[in-house]
Amino acid sequence: MNDPARVAVTAAGVVSPLGFGLAETLESLQSARDCVSPVMRFSVTQCRCKTAGQVSDSRLLSSPAQVERSGRLHRASHMMIEALQELLTQQPEFEPELTVVGTTSGGMSYGERYYRSLQRAGDLRHAATWIANYPAQKPVIDAQAAFGISAPCEVIANACASGTNAVGHAFECVRSGRYQRVLAGGYDALAEMVFVGFDSLQASTPEKCRPFDQHRSGMVLGEGAAVLAMENLELARRRDAPVLAEIIGYGISTDNFHITQPEPSGSGPRQAMQRALENAHISAADVDYINAHGTATLFNDAAEGRAISALFNGVPVSSTKSMMGHSLGAAGAIEAIVCLLALEHQFLPANINFSRLDDDLDLNIVANEARPAAVRTALSNSFGFGGTNASVVMRKFPPSSGLRGTGDA
Amino acid sequence: MSLAIAGMGWVTPLGTAIDLVWERLIAGEEASATTISEEFACRSYAVFRVPESVLKHVAHARLRRASAISRFAAAAGLSALESGGLKIDATNAERVALIFAISNGGVIYTKRFYRDIVNTGAESASPLLFPETVFNAPASHLAAILGITGVTYTLVGDGAVGLTAVKMARELMENEPLDYCLVVGTEEIDWLLCDAYRRWRLLRVAPPIEPYGKQNGGMILSEGAGAILLARDGRILIECAHPGGYFSRRAEAEELLKHILCDLGQTEIDFVISSANGTFVDLAESHALQRLLPNALVYTVKPALGESVGAAGLWQVILAAEALRTRELPPVLHADPKVPMRLSRSRTVIPYARHAIVLGCGLNQQAAGLRLACD
Repeated sequence: MNDPARVAVTAAGVVSPLGFGLAETLESLQSARDCVSPVMRFSVTQCRCKTAGQVSDSRLLSSPAQVERSGRLHRASHMMIEALQELLTQQPEFEPELTVVGTTSGGMSYGERYYRSLQRAGDLRHAATWIANYPAQKPVIDAQAAFGISAPCEVIANACASGTNAVGHAFECVRSGRYQRVLAGGYDALAEMVFVGFDSLQASTPEKCRPFDQHRSGMVLGEGAAVLAMENLELARRRDAPVLAEIIGYGISTDNFHITQPEPSGSGPRQAMQRALENAHISAADVDYINAHGTATLFNDAAEGRAISALFNGVPVSSTKSMMGHSLGAAGAIEAIVCLLALEHQFLPANINFSRLDDDLDLNIVANEARPAAVRTALSNSFGFGGTNASVVMRKFPPSSGLRGTGDA
Repeated sequence: MSLAIAGMGWVTPLGTAIDLVWERLIAGEEASATTISEEFACRSYAVFRVPESVLKHVAHARLRRASAISRFAAAAGLSALESGGLKIDATNAERVALIFAISNGGVIYTKRFYRDIVNTGAESASPLLFPETVFNAPASHLAAILGITGVTYTLVGDGAVGLTAVKMARELMENEPLDYCLVVGTEEIDWLLCDAYRRWRLLRVAPPIEPYGKQNGGMILSEGAGAILLARDGRILIECAHPGGYFSRRAEAEELLKHILCDLGQTEIDFVISSANGTFVDLAESHALQRLLPNALVYTVKPALGESVGAAGLWQVILAAEALRTRELPPVLHADPKVPMRLSRSRTVIPYARHAIVLGCGLNQQAAGLRLACD
């Protein structure tokens, strides 16, 4: 059996509440910006939580990437097109053989519109369009079609772990040698049903999102899309492609404790992280930064915090969801890009709104401000409903290569 | 790498035992249609439903509040494990992966959850229903019932998603230290789905589904689940899993299917389990098959069992495996005698059958294919 191939990230694209593109995302991360705002898209008067991380529609629809796109497409499609456009600007010749993306709800808000119109005997003239653009896989197909990419798509819906699962499975596909180039990513757009769902579980907060804080009171939702071009490292170097980072490990686990709650000791997250480290052939001491799942719910943070402190000794940890909210199926892919930027620009992204660590946790939180640091290896966590847990490990690739469009930090 | 089917299970409108449903299909039987009524309009739809009675034996604490889609999946998955003789315990739980193929998902609870929000506002939203609306709820229930602690994935897509899930299983078995992979596809019916497909002009008012007809008369929806247990060894092999792709317009489906058939048809193919369902899919498949595999026998089960979308691909794989094992094909029901294809028009013995293609063309732009072989 051949040695496993090394896997490079050679381009990336992102749109999230932190900004459009890598440069804006980097700027928001480095200035520890709070990008959560009041929800205006639908009524939240009866919800505890009234805020979310949101992508500006006016900006999304007026961007050059969207000019010739159909106004019928769902926002999630537009976000994917935006992210893919950025990636292809960096690597115009990137032609994936396979695409693996994560999502939880695709074009859900079109489904809502359709149902609402049915129930209230409203205007259904556009129903066929809503139905056509509702399926979860549609945004990735739209994005690929927009740029003439014909790769088959695997769309993973492992709840909030989906994005990291997509990056991880894409990594495995390249590492096995079966594929040379895989497009990985994730997307989700804010939808009323999902927003109200988390509110009904009392998982979302009327206050600020404060991951790992003693006074944390829940999550805020977010939205966005992110894509990564993943390639066989050797082949990428042979054609002088810039290597933004290397993905070196992936771990997945399933804990069967409860459909919405993690096993309290954090055994599931611990297993996922442990497997990712083993898969990467590194020890916990080699990790310089953890981008935590960190939703700021009482149970999730407790379980993840215990898992991290059981495996690691004082590694800097932050949850960037504190800045942009939890974008569900997109989160893992966006946070992989956060790690990529941290590796490239040698800084630790902040965990904002933080005042005091949970008394029961022993973590080294990057509190409130980003700070410069030597970051060679980063681990990113995502955990979801149904007890799905996923972790990926990324490594700075020498020699240091500037991210196109981001400038130097 | 060798990948084989070690066990199979399904829940269909014609029953749940593999052998019995197969015999009924071989005898030319079809499911009986019932009607389902819209909530907000005086419209009803013919559908093929799974009788509630067949799920009585599927009892587990995790399924108490679960929707039909999860119970179908659990029944099929447990049946596949039983037929494969696999017991999952602490010693092997990490070496068994679970992959789900989902299309419309838990539409019944999703609709109910959202209906409450529309009717009376967010305050009435049920925290018990919400988790069941998530695409991976059925997978998480089955993983909990089986005690699987390692790899669990839910894939979403259209009618081709079941075949994509088998392809993913193949990728996992190559990479991971796995002994088995259980692949499950599942679907439940609700009037809301019927209305949506009707608005897309894909549904017909009443049976029968007339496959490969010129009129594209439409399909009848059905529900249920299919599951296959994949292992390293066995008599029926998944010889090749084609990644397929997507088509931007329906007219492009034929070219994509030709591409899939061209790759999978490198070996002599004895028969094809097609996904023809009375819609535009039929014309695309028949043109592609006539062009590339004019001598292969073709069978579609959808006139007999309906279009089960998320479950359909797994049903097709099970049918291909049964046909290779028993070396015969059931009759294609309700096909016009003038259809210029080599259809299995009656119970057809295929004494030396060794290779089969399972072709999946979905209604939402995706297509994929598998080649199975009998050792």
